[in-house]
Amino acid sequence: MSCDLVLVGVGGQGVLTIADLMIRCAFAADVPATYCPTKGMAQRGGFVKAEVRLGREGVGPRIAEGAADLVIAMERSEALKGLPLLRPEGTLVLYDHVWAPTGVMLGADAYPKREQVLDEIDRAGGRLLLLDPSDLPSVDGQAVRPNIYVLGAAVGRTPLGEVLAVEAMAATIEARWPKAASANLAAFQAGVRE
Amino acid sequence: MIKKTVTGNQAVARGALAAGIRVVTGYPGTPSTGCLTHLLSLDLLDRHVEWSANEKVAFEIAAGAAWAGQRSLVTMKMSGVNVAFDALISIAYSGTNGGLVIYVADDPGVTAGMAEQDSRAFARMADLPMLEPADPAEAYQLIQTAFELSETVGTPVFLRLTTATALTHAPVEIDDPVPPAERDVILEKDIGRYTKAGSVICRRQHEELINRLGRAEMWIHEHGLNRLDLSASSGGLGIVACGAAAPYLPEALGISGLSAEDVSVLRVTSTVPFPRREVERLLGACSTVLVLEELEPFIERDLIVLAREVGFDGRVVGKLDGTLPRIGEYTLPIILKGLETASSRPLAHESSSAIDEADAGGVSPAPRPITICAGCPHRGTYLAIDAAIDAAGLDRDNVMVTGDIGCTILGMNPPFDLLWNEVSMGSSLGIAQGYVHAGSKMPVIATIGDSTFFHGGMPGLVNAIQHRVPLTLVILDNGWTAMTGMQINPGTDESQQPGSRRVDLEDVVRGLGPDRVTVVDPYDLEATTAAIAACLKEPSGVGVVISRRECAIQASRRRVDYGTVTVNAEACILCKQCLRITGCPALSLPPAADGLGEPPQGGPPGPRSIVIDPDLCNGCGLCVSFCPTGALAKEAA
Repeated sequence: MSCDLVLVGVGGQGVLTIADLMIRCAFAADVPATYCPTKGMAQRGGFVKAEVRLGREGVGPRIAEGAADLVIAMERSEALKGLPLLRPEGTLVLYDHVWAPTGVMLGADAYPKREQVLDEIDRAGGRLLLLDPSDLPSVDGQAVRPNIYVLGAAVGRTPLGEVLAVEAMAATIEARWPKAASANLAAFQAGVRE
Repeated sequence: MIKKTVTGNQAVARGALAAGIRVVTGYPGTPSTGCLTHLLSLDLLDRHVEWSANEKVAFEIAAGAAWAGQRSLVTMKMSGVNVAFDALISIAYSGTNGGLVIYVADDPGVTAGMAEQDSRAFARMADLPMLEPADPAEAYQLIQTAFELSETVGTPVFLRLTTATALTHAPVEIDDPVPPAERDVILEKDIGRYTKAGSVICRRQHEELINRLGRAEMWIHEHGLNRLDLSASSGGLGIVACGAAAPYLPEALGISGLSAEDVSVLRVTSTVPFPRREVERLLGACSTVLVLEELEPFIERDLIVLAREVGFDGRVVGKLDGTLPRIGEYTLPIILKGLETASSRPLAHESSSAIDEADAGGVSPAPRPITICAGCPHRGTYLAIDAAIDAAGLDRDNVMVTGDIGCTILGMNPPFDLLWNEVSMGSSLGIAQGYVHAGSKMPVIATIGDSTFFHGGMPGLVNAIQHRVPLTLVILDNGWTAMTGMQINPGTDESQQPGSRRVDLEDVVRGLGPDRVTVVDPYDLEATTAAIAACLKEPSGVGVVISRRECAIQASRRRVDYGTVTVNAEACILCKQCLRITGCPALSLPPAADGLGEPPQGGPPGPRSIVIDPDLCNGCGLCVSFCPTGALAKEAA
């Protein structure tokens, strides 16, 4: 079992945290794994990408265009940067959050509409798992952490689950945040379930 | 021994610990920073680990310790080798006593800025061995090998990683750190070895240098660092794979449909010296050779020279025949392209055509230029420079504002669009003086950060003062080396660098004696504007404005509370002036039905005002002064 996956999003959304949890989970399960982050020079609000290769021994860390089994996009516009990496029949998880750059808010730059992005995914032959931020569940009156929710959806509802099991990831999350395990597990399980 | 997931940078650090290093120095620079950062995060006894003022100083400290007999490591990004090289080549000619390894991280693809240079040229020029691992596990081993080689031969050794290897997390078997060996300090007085006193000495050192490289070649050969795997069938395809390109080869061979048994492979881990013996055997067994190496065709050129010497009459496929690029990272599609050309047949895979079609989509992602953080004090300085140009009655398009390295260069991007150029550490000052001497009739402004000023800016300022060059220097002093992820520098607050002493940048500048020095707070726009305008109006000498306020990220990590900015929704007319002028990421338009922030047309009444993200806003208050209706208000902590 193997899975080559790419995460894209905006600095501050916890994209690299998802990749880190995947690597920890894979390590505990003795699944060979590499993870290569690209965050450019931005502290926050810049494009972030993480390439994760699970279940393959002795391979380079980068994933070629058209070769990713799974693309997880945490932001609508950035999904278009992840899409060229997706292989035909691969799955794209779109958490349809909008983080408009200043240029868009000032009306100087265009920002893609949801339908346009979905059309592009369709044209690329990708399978879509759409997560609407307005459906983000709440626990004890507080919205759960979107990145952990998206991780739950990826593990629970895409072929990634064949490489990293739901129970193993839950254990990884618990070990990562022993003091805040329940809130994070709730976010994760909400993503798995929906 | 324990198996851990580590980055290539951490693997270098851990390998150096296993090799018993005593002294580690460096200057931050992506993608190399994580090595020294990792060492600083460990509780290390009996070792000295420091961020030095610049790479040349860092190298000299490591070299001094190595001359004294200790194992020493110095770390830097590729641009740092340019800085250190003056000292480096001199030490190369003298050789070393204790192990001395220079870890350099090159950045093919340029994810972190600066020239896409290939540092292997420096190893070649200095006749120093250079080892190149292909993944973190190999980095862990090769740094230890590098120390052994260094001490056996008496030569400094380069270890070169590239971005993908330095930043990739992968499992590595790690040994426990070895305490530095108890070695007597070598205090040897020998001008024939430790100086360049005269032509006889220098020519003898050159000869010894060449001999050392020869001994290194033999040592590397005997230790089998370059692994040759010859196919049983001769006359087929041979592949030379080096560095980060190598791990993609097995995968590419699998996809290509070429039989791995028919292919001979030489995995090169020593770029310098050229692995002559192994390459000669490869040439003898193959009719075509494919060379896979990122950036410049180093191995390839040496291979072609050797091919001529030994009468090889086959093909060499690589960069020089135009098949493969000299630009960017090598990943699977490039390796496949090489295999396709070298095997002279189209391969069974589809990916090369998929690449050409990838950009054919009808809709593009929104541009997301890198910008400065919410609360960044540089925002105040950029806005003040702009306002000062105006206040001095000058034309923005005719005032040269030179830029420098680090976060301060982000003033080149919207909404500021202020800086004209970016060269190298400290160059804002020299470039500015050049524009003055060229006859620029308008005042010239140089901008530089605090760490960059300590690193390479001081000589430029001294020069401007000495030659009475009329210019304004704005030092954006946020107290940290910020862009590389918050390292200390000489000016960092003493409480943040225990055991060290803070060097006050203001004292340094005043000591150099410019015509005018003003220290301002960039959160105080009026005072900062006035100070810069005063320099512009009186351009008779060197005017320095130190715009001083701690990096907002670091201040908020220490829970410094500047208060908050609130919005009076009744008063906000959504003119977007605050957004347009400051570009602050904490500001956004109200959420709307399409999620794009435009208020819904005739939709349900919602917030119709600018929204401030309380988690991002640090209360700098700069936006308040640009609100025409007074809707934004600063509330004290």
